[in-house]
Amino acid sequence: MVETGTISIFLAFIISLYTLIASLVGGKTRNREFIKSAENGALAVFFLLTVASASLIHALLTRDFSLKFVASNTSRDLSTIYTITALWAGQAGSLLLWSWMLSIYTVLVVLFNRGKSRELMPYVIGTLAAVLCFFIYLIAFVESPFERLPFVAADGNGLNPILQNPYMAIHPLALYAGYVGVTVPFAFAIGALLSGRLGDEWIRSSRRWTLFCWTFLGIGLLLGARWAYLELGWGGYWAWDPVENAAFMPFLVGTAFLHSVMIQEKKGMLKKWNMALIVLTFFLAIFGTFITRSGIISSVHSFAQSNIGPYFLGFIGFILLFSFGMFILRLDDMKSENHFDSLLSRESAFLFNNLIFLGAAFSVFLGTIFPILTEAIRGEKILVGPPYFNRVNVPMGLILILLMGVGPLISWRRASKRNLISNFMYPTVFGFLTAILLFSLGMRETVALVSFGLCAFVTATVFIEFYRGVRVRSGRGERYVIALFRLISRNRRRYGGYIVHLGVVLIVIGITASSVFVTQKEATLRKGETMSVGKYSLRFDDLRQYTTDAKNATAAKLTVYNGGKEIGVMVPEKNIYKYEGNREINQETEVALRSTFKDDLYVILANSDGNGKGTASFRAIINPMVSWIWAGGVVLLLGAIVTMWPNPKEIREESAVRYTVGISKESSVSG
Amino acid sequence: MTRGRIKFILAIGVIALTLSYLVYGGVKEAKVYYLTVEELKERVPFVYKEKVRVSGKVVPGTIRKDIDGSLEFQITDGKQTIDVQYRGIIPDVFRDGVEAIVEGLYTPENVFNANVLLAKCPTKYESADSLKKGENT
Repeated sequence: MVETGTISIFLAFIISLYTLIASLVGGKTRNREFIKSAENGALAVFFLLTVASASLIHALLTRDFSLKFVASNTSRDLSTIYTITALWAGQAGSLLLWSWMLSIYTVLVVLFNRGKSRELMPYVIGTLAAVLCFFIYLIAFVESPFERLPFVAADGNGLNPILQNPYMAIHPLALYAGYVGVTVPFAFAIGALLSGRLGDEWIRSSRRWTLFCWTFLGIGLLLGARWAYLELGWGGYWAWDPVENAAFMPFLVGTAFLHSVMIQEKKGMLKKWNMALIVLTFFLAIFGTFITRSGIISSVHSFAQSNIGPYFLGFIGFILLFSFGMFILRLDDMKSENHFDSLLSRESAFLFNNLIFLGAAFSVFLGTIFPILTEAIRGEKILVGPPYFNRVNVPMGLILILLMGVGPLISWRRASKRNLISNFMYPTVFGFLTAILLFSLGMRETVALVSFGLCAFVTATVFIEFYRGVRVRSGRGERYVIALFRLISRNRRRYGGYIVHLGVVLIVIGITASSVFVTQKEATLRKGETMSVGKYSLRFDDLRQYTTDAKNATAAKLTVYNGGKEIGVMVPEKNIYKYEGNREINQETEVALRSTFKDDLYVILANSDGNGKGTASFRAIINPMVSWIWAGGVVLLLGAIVTMWPNPKEIREESAVRYTVGISKESSVSG
Repeated sequence: MTRGRIKFILAIGVIALTLSYLVYGGVKEAKVYYLTVEELKERVPFVYKEKVRVSGKVVPGTIRKDIDGSLEFQITDGKQTIDVQYRGIIPDVFRDGVEAIVEGLYTPENVFNANVLLAKCPTKYESADSLKKGENT
């Protein structure tokens, strides 16, 4: 099986190289035979990488400890499911997964676009093949997942216990689907540059792909946050660590792109801007992979470091130079068909949304590479911590929420007074009322008041949109539920977008509440003693030690009271994993969590005496409304699915001309 | 240049200025020198007033954990060593020999009062040295 894997990867490299050349020749000569051959090449690469991935999974499952990758990431006692997920626990496997996913995307792009966009597609496939070449080269010649050890190990190192968590099993997959997926819109953009077809053809063809990878990036980030929250045991979910930032930056710029392409589609504006944004998004995705893998920036999560850093640097340089060169060459073909008329217009709202997303991404980028910059310039390593990121990104985020309410409702070109009043009077009043109500209830934190007020504003704008749509339909005799369903399904993009916005509102509410109103307390207790935190009190009842095959656990039993009423038992644990010296991390804090939509009670067993006298120290944290973040993620996913859902009517319209300015103006005025 | 244009340029300027101000203020407020133990010692006495971040290997056998959650240990860069005092959440990865990162204030008594303790968490461990050879191979 191992030989099969090695050979498959090698062949995949050769064929991806062939696919690259064939598609470029096919694109240049318009020769159908070459294009067809390139498409088949893409299929073959997918097939070969599937075989390679299957062989690696087979090696993992059969515990072939003659392979370095298997011995480093699994052990005999590892459960089957985590044995499979070990595929992306190590670097070589992750790179194989990257390549395999990209080959899946490539095949899907080929299948969905057969016979369409004949001038554009060869170059799109060529770009995808070029990126494939790079990644397959790495696993074929630099970091082979099938590298053998000089001996057969008796047992493997095992999978890091903190990675043995369901969220960690799927978080990298989701994030990868996003990271890798960015390649598709990038390939369409480069295809457009190479073929000179710079209309909105490339944007229309790549729209769903952009949404798809954006959704996965977002969900991947949320799953990672949830994993950190449950597993790392420090009470939070986001720490502005370089590795987190690496995933956050492409998401920010991708969000900007997702919005600005709408302006190009409807108005033929911002063509250069969109091109630049997607190149930047792809650059950040590769840069993110580079900083997590090269160890150039010190992070708490230092992934295995290896010699692939320089390859990535070279690849990044190539992408930037090539894209920039093509961009300059085609500058004249990307002239805007319209211009900005008024600051109070939808175009402007989208423009400012873009500038702020880009500004936020830039500030995160600067903060992340700050130590490298200062070391290069002044010879001193200076870093900026979470206060920097919060200070810059919180105000930016608040303006973005405001724009999230304004953008979808304000008229195109120039908003009239009537448009502003009819769309924004009630939401503005509702937003202010919410802030005043919270203030009168005793809330004095400015950031929270502004944030909740804005969230109320956005919710009201979305609600009014749904209300108006349903009212018009029900006026024609439809029942409310059916009217709502039809309203959404007739214009999935618009209403799906609103649902995504509602998801974001929920996430923002959760983040605001849980970061502004945290209560925490530490205490050292003897058996029978009680500590109180906020409205909760916790009585330390028992300290118990037990042993399983994998670990020695110390578990503390606490009875929880809410204002005198018993509400349950919580058992935080501290585990020492066996096989001392065999694993890098052998200790694991098992947090006890009691989660409701109102607040999370998060209890950590910080320490306990080993000799059983029954003293232990705890840290208890009340994180308000954290669950809203995860709930918001689910809503966001639902909205994204609604937006992406194939629509027969839209497929027919695909070839039709874009909406004229007149129609869209009319429809936005009438709401 | 039309009046509309100028308005846009002004608006974009305001955004750019706000961003620069936030970045400038943020850096000023949050900057922390990142030093090795040796660099820390070189900067005595100026370093006493500044918030710094120091990284080094935890000297094996020096970790003392108190039941109430306070922690003392030494970190070293191979040449110089400092004592660290810390109270708070101890990362799971923290133990003898790991790379620890502490943030806080260094005092003239050669004690580092840390309010942040991080330990490098290798997502995996990929070294053939740690693997034991099979009995029969």
